[in-house]
Amino acid sequence: MKWGAAVIVVAILTGLGIMPFYVSNYVVTFTLQIFMWIALAESWNLISGLTGYVSFGHVAFFGTGAYTAAILITKLGWHWLPASLVGSVTAAILALIIGYPCLRLKGPYFAISMLGLNEVVRALVSYFDRLTGGGSGITLSPMNTILPLYYAMGGVALAGLVITYWTITSRFGLRLLSIRENEVAAEAMGIPTAALKLYAFLISAALPGIVGGFYARYVSHIEPLGTFPLITTITMIVMCLFGGRGTIFGPVLGATLLSLFQEWAWSRFLYFHEAIFGAIIVLVILLMPRGILGVLQQRFRLPRVV
Amino acid sequence: MTIHFTGTMLLQGIVSGLLSGGVYAMIALGMALIFGVMRVINVAHGTLLMLGGYVTYWLFALYGMNPFLSLLISFPLLFVVGLLLQRFFVSRVVGAPELSSLILTFGLSIFITNVAVMSWTSDYRSVEFLTGSFLLGPIAISKPRLVTFGFALLITVAAFVFLNKTKTGKAIRATSQHRELAQVCGINVRRIDLITFGLASALAGAGGSLISVMYSIFPEMGRGYVFKSFLVIVLGGAGNYPGAFLGGLLLGVVEGLTSLLLTAQLSEVIAYVLLVLVLLIRPTGLLGGRT
Amino acid sequence: MPSDLILEVRGVSKRFGGVTAVQNCSLAVEPGKIVALVGPNGSGKTTLFNLITGVERLDEGEIYFKGDRIDHLPPHKIARRGIGRTFQLIRVFPELTALENLLVVARQDWEPAYRRALELLTFVKLDQLRGEFAGNLSYGQQRLLEFARVLMIDPDLVLLDEPAAGINRSLLNDLLNAIRDLRAGGKTVLIVEHDMKVVMDLSEKIFVLDHGEKLTEGTPETVLKDERVLEAYFGR
Repeated sequence: MKWGAAVIVVAILTGLGIMPFYVSNYVVTFTLQIFMWIALAESWNLISGLTGYVSFGHVAFFGTGAYTAAILITKLGWHWLPASLVGSVTAAILALIIGYPCLRLKGPYFAISMLGLNEVVRALVSYFDRLTGGGSGITLSPMNTILPLYYAMGGVALAGLVITYWTITSRFGLRLLSIRENEVAAEAMGIPTAALKLYAFLISAALPGIVGGFYARYVSHIEPLGTFPLITTITMIVMCLFGGRGTIFGPVLGATLLSLFQEWAWSRFLYFHEAIFGAIIVLVILLMPRGILGVLQQRFRLPRVV
Repeated sequence: MTIHFTGTMLLQGIVSGLLSGGVYAMIALGMALIFGVMRVINVAHGTLLMLGGYVTYWLFALYGMNPFLSLLISFPLLFVVGLLLQRFFVSRVVGAPELSSLILTFGLSIFITNVAVMSWTSDYRSVEFLTGSFLLGPIAISKPRLVTFGFALLITVAAFVFLNKTKTGKAIRATSQHRELAQVCGINVRRIDLITFGLASALAGAGGSLISVMYSIFPEMGRGYVFKSFLVIVLGGAGNYPGAFLGGLLLGVVEGLTSLLLTAQLSEVIAYVLLVLVLLIRPTGLLGGRT
Repeated sequence: MPSDLILEVRGVSKRFGGVTAVQNCSLAVEPGKIVALVGPNGSGKTTLFNLITGVERLDEGEIYFKGDRIDHLPPHKIARRGIGRTFQLIRVFPELTALENLLVVARQDWEPAYRRALELLTFVKLDQLRGEFAGNLSYGQQRLLEFARVLMIDPDLVLLDEPAAGINRSLLNDLLNAIRDLRAGGKTVLIVEHDMKVVMDLSEKIFVLDHGEKLTEGTPETVLKDERVLEAYFGR
């Protein structure tokens, strides 16, 4: 059983690895975006899916990473790869500053405080315009080929999956789940919930930080409105919920399916897909709160590694 | 860069702030009621506000109706919308983990907001009805702000009278203090949930109508108000309805002063920092309430 | 302050808004005993548990565990010092399996934790259901799971909040024996219970609370003859 799974994994990875040489640029770009959403949905899963603390402002970490990388690239001439890694560090620092006080709050208070975070970071970015270019943003020199980005983004998506796998199969992950299930009981049994929540939060912020950095390199021009949009948070959330919150592959499933849907819907009408995401969120919460994989997991008693 | 602050400027900031605060208070009262009775955080509250604003706008643009008169329409209309939302969606997550209601109302707000964008476009619209200001001593008082404050005050006072003097109102307060006990006393909490959500939506809608007189409206306008309403509830203390009113005024004043002393952008940051501070230091609110 | 008492509650008060849940309450518990906390509904028993375990912060007074002051500590630190509790309204982890409910609180490495968890599950007769999600278990089974869970952290002082509620007679005997085994193992048990038969059966000492204050304390026989206790429970 384990060997079979390993073979499948290697096959998929190899396939994705050699794919860019056989398909059109459009497919490569599209897959790159799916990688991005996988990484983002998995990172949201790490905090919200596992601990149940809903982070409504998660795109703030994405934007922080994007801006950090963009500033390092344009002002200091860094290469985009290390710049993005630093982006993850600044995102994690932001998470530490915000998470330390806010995670002490009970669930709904935390969620609302996160709702405001995004607006605040965006306001700060606009305010310090000498560093960040304010409303006009930062422009990077264009790239010749997106191939390196493809592999980089794929790498982050893979890293997100691996981190989630390690977490869920570890005692750390089990304890995070106990926070979601019943935080009062978890604390009464000696589980240091505040510290654990913070670790999960830091990791869940570092990933979007790198993704943001790659994104900045990819689009070559970032400005506050486009880098901190609510739709990014919404998409992260709906992909994770739809696919299966708290599972390892749920966000992958959600990211893939909904990216395909989004691509199809985009040509129809610009705001249509956002409305549908809203409707999907409502329907998932009412009918299928654990998401597709979550439901399957319950039904067929699948192991937690799903 | 030095700025000289005169007492007049500060007073101006405070007065303007108080006037806006009245509207905040009314809107926040709605959200406080929903949270108190159902323990649901209505992220869609801002969306309901937006709908109220558009009702007023369209009545004004198409029929030339006096926006303050349109309150007679937006209030009951949003009451019904609230009833429907509660009946078909929110009722299913009352009692579920608070997470579910958060995400549910979040999803509803996204859906409704985008339907609004698809129907009415993202363009800013304004209701040019009342403009200008007059001088009261050294202070300039904006006419639209004063009148909207008056209406907000009127509606809020009426709401408090309803909550304190009528049977249903008292039942609402009882349910928000102790849901199980209220049930045991024979109160039909499902009916109370419906009425509360309807009333809260009506208050939000009225807020939207009043706001449309002062500022431009657009489909995404509700988002900032959800956060601010929540801040007001936290300031006043959950379950403390008069506290929510005072909290609204306080927020208005803080905002007025910060946009005077700093830029408007930073006033959002200040509001945020204020929220986090209050939540950490006095989670029961500045005026005391339940956690 | 050195003391041979395992738990000392001194002059503790807790108010919620206008309601005083606990008023100037003082208790002293000797190690290795089974002690019961009784009183009519609303007398502050669960609040007292919450204060001891750090879930609520007290307004006045002090709480000492093994001679150290604990009332300002967060719940998980108190638990780590050796106080474990069960809850009046069951708090299992519903989407974790029965086995995972025990593994998650364990402090040892995986291997010994796994063995201990299986031991405890067998002890409460839930080992067949170890892979079942805790949320799917029956009420009585969940109560037993919570009991096994608190044993998993091997506390020196065990607080049981109405452990007999909703348990059928046959399981109840097993539970009572389990509690006696705890004492035999050197643990101290503080139990809140309404079922007076259980209280009489098990406890060596009883504290009676009424309206948040300690009414009286003593052995089961003396307490139940006390007129004030009768009045508190049955009125005049």
